[in-house]
Amino acid sequence: MIKAKQKPIAEIKTLIAPYRNILILGCGTCVTISFAGGEKEVGMLASSLRIAAAMDKNAQLFTEATVQRQCEWEFIDAIADQIQKADAVISLACGIGVQALAERYPDKVILPGVNTTFLGMAIEHGVMVERCRACGDCILGLTGGVCPIARCAKNLLNGPCGGSQRGKCEVNPETDCAWQLIYDRLGKLGQLDRLSSLMTYKDWSKDYDGGPRKIVREDLKL
Amino acid sequence: MTSEKRDLAPPTVEPLPPCAATCPAHTDVRGYVQAIARGDFEEAYRIAREPNPIPYICGKVCAHPCEDQCRRKDVDEPIAICALKRFATEKHDPRLGHAPRLTQAEPREEKVAIVGSGPGGLTAAHDLARMGYKVTVFEAYPRLGGTMQVGIPLYRLPRETIDLEIAPLKELGIEFVTNVRIADVDGLLSDGYRSVFIAVGSHVGAKLRLPNAELPDVWLNTEFLRRVALGEKIDLSHRNVLVLGGGNVAIDVARTAVRLGAAQVSMSFLESDETMPAHPWEIEEAKEEGILMYPSRTFKECVLDEGKLAGVKCIKVDFRGFKPDGALDIDEFVDTEHILAADLIIFSIGQGPDLSFLPKDGSIAQTKRRAIQVDPVTLATTKPGVFAGGDAVTRVGFIIDAVAAGHRAARSIDAYLRGVDPRTVQPDESEKLGAIQEKTISHIRKLEREPLPKTDAATRRATFDEVEHGYTETQAVRAALRCLTCGAGATVDTDKCIACLTCVRVCPFEVPGLERGTANVPVEQCQACGLCATECPAKAITMKLYSDDDMIQDIKRAIKRAKSDSEPAIVGFACRYCAYSGEEPKVVQARFPKNVKVIDVLCSGKVDSLYLLKAFEYGADAVFVAGCIVGECHNDKGNVHAGQRVAYVKKILDELGLNGARLEMFNTAPGECTSVVEDVIRLAAKVKELGSSPVPYPSRAGRSN
Repeated sequence: MIKAKQKPIAEIKTLIAPYRNILILGCGTCVTISFAGGEKEVGMLASSLRIAAAMDKNAQLFTEATVQRQCEWEFIDAIADQIQKADAVISLACGIGVQALAERYPDKVILPGVNTTFLGMAIEHGVMVERCRACGDCILGLTGGVCPIARCAKNLLNGPCGGSQRGKCEVNPETDCAWQLIYDRLGKLGQLDRLSSLMTYKDWSKDYDGGPRKIVREDLKL
Repeated sequence: MTSEKRDLAPPTVEPLPPCAATCPAHTDVRGYVQAIARGDFEEAYRIAREPNPIPYICGKVCAHPCEDQCRRKDVDEPIAICALKRFATEKHDPRLGHAPRLTQAEPREEKVAIVGSGPGGLTAAHDLARMGYKVTVFEAYPRLGGTMQVGIPLYRLPRETIDLEIAPLKELGIEFVTNVRIADVDGLLSDGYRSVFIAVGSHVGAKLRLPNAELPDVWLNTEFLRRVALGEKIDLSHRNVLVLGGGNVAIDVARTAVRLGAAQVSMSFLESDETMPAHPWEIEEAKEEGILMYPSRTFKECVLDEGKLAGVKCIKVDFRGFKPDGALDIDEFVDTEHILAADLIIFSIGQGPDLSFLPKDGSIAQTKRRAIQVDPVTLATTKPGVFAGGDAVTRVGFIIDAVAAGHRAARSIDAYLRGVDPRTVQPDESEKLGAIQEKTISHIRKLEREPLPKTDAATRRATFDEVEHGYTETQAVRAALRCLTCGAGATVDTDKCIACLTCVRVCPFEVPGLERGTANVPVEQCQACGLCATECPAKAITMKLYSDDDMIQDIKRAIKRAKSDSEPAIVGFACRYCAYSGEEPKVVQARFPKNVKVIDVLCSGKVDSLYLLKAFEYGADAVFVAGCIVGECHNDKGNVHAGQRVAYVKKILDELGLNGARLEMFNTAPGECTSVVEDVIRLAAKVKELGSSPVPYPSRAGRSN
């Protein structure tokens, strides 16, 4: 799932400085699960910004709302009234939601309240880690179910590199070396022989390098 | 979310906690116990009073079947419900009226006669008077109260307590006529009473047909208790008293005999020690008072010696109960015949109603067991307009059973008089919450039941003064805090829930699960700790007994009160389980500086991060959370979560330039409420140095929201 982190309050304050009526709009799916932009976080941010406004003696007014998913036209259409009444909207959705709002409400100032950070999971409650880079050409079948694109700082296809230290990455000693994990996992699967052949080049055109990607299912089109 | 998801959800059923479901009057036990735990004693009284016009009496002598069903018995021991009801009545300020917030309807013309002023009669009279009817209660004895007056011994129920309940009934306009034994029910109807409720109780004791049982020194339980209760001086000194029977009334008889100076009092009965029908606590108190027990015996003859009563000839038995036809299922042991010596024998083997006053034409039918026959739903007898309830119908029941029957009769009579079918006005039987699962029980903190203070056995043998005494405030709150809040826990809004699993992960009791794609917090398992509600990022979980809105109102009020001085306003959230640590909360709070106002919570884990921010938003100059020390939380780790939230919000305050030092978490060890006082004083001093919060008060948000 998409993981996000709320922006520092100082940055949000700067973004909203020119506006008076501000809607803080949460998103009820990924960012809720990542404790960055659900109804609870909308309330926390609203309260924080009201405190800030009071301290700065400015007259900003904040309203709060949360939709199920900001990345769907139907859901964001449903709160058109509230959006129209606001001078600016702080979206606590991921970048997709922010852009959906901006596209749907071309006259409105839509501001991001979170930094969309990665695709990942909570390995324990309150600890979220990156697991996927959405590279468009999944090789997990070759790497024992451990992704070297998302989890190796160098995106190595034939690792590990010399910076692998006792199973950890030289970039961050708290990070497991993806290639160590791949090696261990293939060993358990009895597939270490896979490592004796070189992986061929990766088609990065399927990643961002080929420009914004698009999936079309002709069979589903209305 | 989608309507389809909602349709799939099981229908909402609200089973009652076992205490309320078991109480014949369905008293909201959880409601008043929780109110005591919160320190809201008047609210506790109001809740206890609402379904019961005699709460003072029930607080002292209710048989409390609720406690037998209390689910805490599966953890350690049941909540001391009866004692807490007593506490609520003792705390109640009588100037607020006996029945706060209960209303009385416009007067109606119809007259209703109630025969008998016991709990059933009083309750029906109370309800009907409130509905506006003209009610007359007829009592055969000189004093009102029925069994409570002429049956229950004084050491269990001082008569002032009865007077206390009856005075407000008179104020309702109920007419009481004493010393009138109704002999003609038809006569009442022809006298203009449109309906009659017969609640004559069960005042006729029974003897076994033994040789010599008619001698003057062979007495009956009911007569004996009545004579004593009505003030007759009976001297039993030098008498050796044997009570035949092992029920609660037999215990009353034996303990009364002790107080009348009997040299020796013994009890003998069919049942074994283990199966003796009296309540265990009554048996224990009787034994403490020196009463000897001779279980597992059947009686053959009252034995004479030189023309005087000398005892009872007994045979030892194995008694297994009653057969379907009512006969005893019993084996007598050979060669066990013996005599239990006594010069006064009191039979207490059961009692029944005196039905000699019923019309001779049989128009009010009786059952085979010589009780009044009624429709169990409406309590209608076979004569139109005449209803009956309580012991006159059941032969033997608890006071609270009669209270319930009184309510039922009042509803039926009102319906009858308005031409409505009485069957349509009775509430459905309520469902009872199921048992707590083992894994949840294993996480529930064990807490010792607070014993009720009692006069010692030696002192009480010589007096009819009350044996049991009420809890102090500290004891009552401690006793109430043991309540598991059954059935009033978390509710999931399935439209908002996104199955993020937070509740499943944070619950200390392993209660929530996923069902049909959303979280499910089974009502019978939830311990109402509130952690899931405070942690839910989708705000999909609410608690039944309090809401965010309630809490925010409390915060605003606290700030307002704290602001009345020129000092900075400090708002605290204090866990009632530990922050006060055995001391009365108001005593601890009195030691806080005046500019500190505290909101009590049942576990610091219920303090949402949002509440902390809101307090600052509304103008608090400092905020603290007082919880238990780590490892001592009532809800496992509620205090740890609270501490983490405080740390998180401190960072936000720093980011805002408001200074995180204005927010503190205090952890109090058991019995060290002084430490929280010191912590709070220290915080107050620090805040004085920091000065007022830069958020103006009253804040714009505080005024508008």
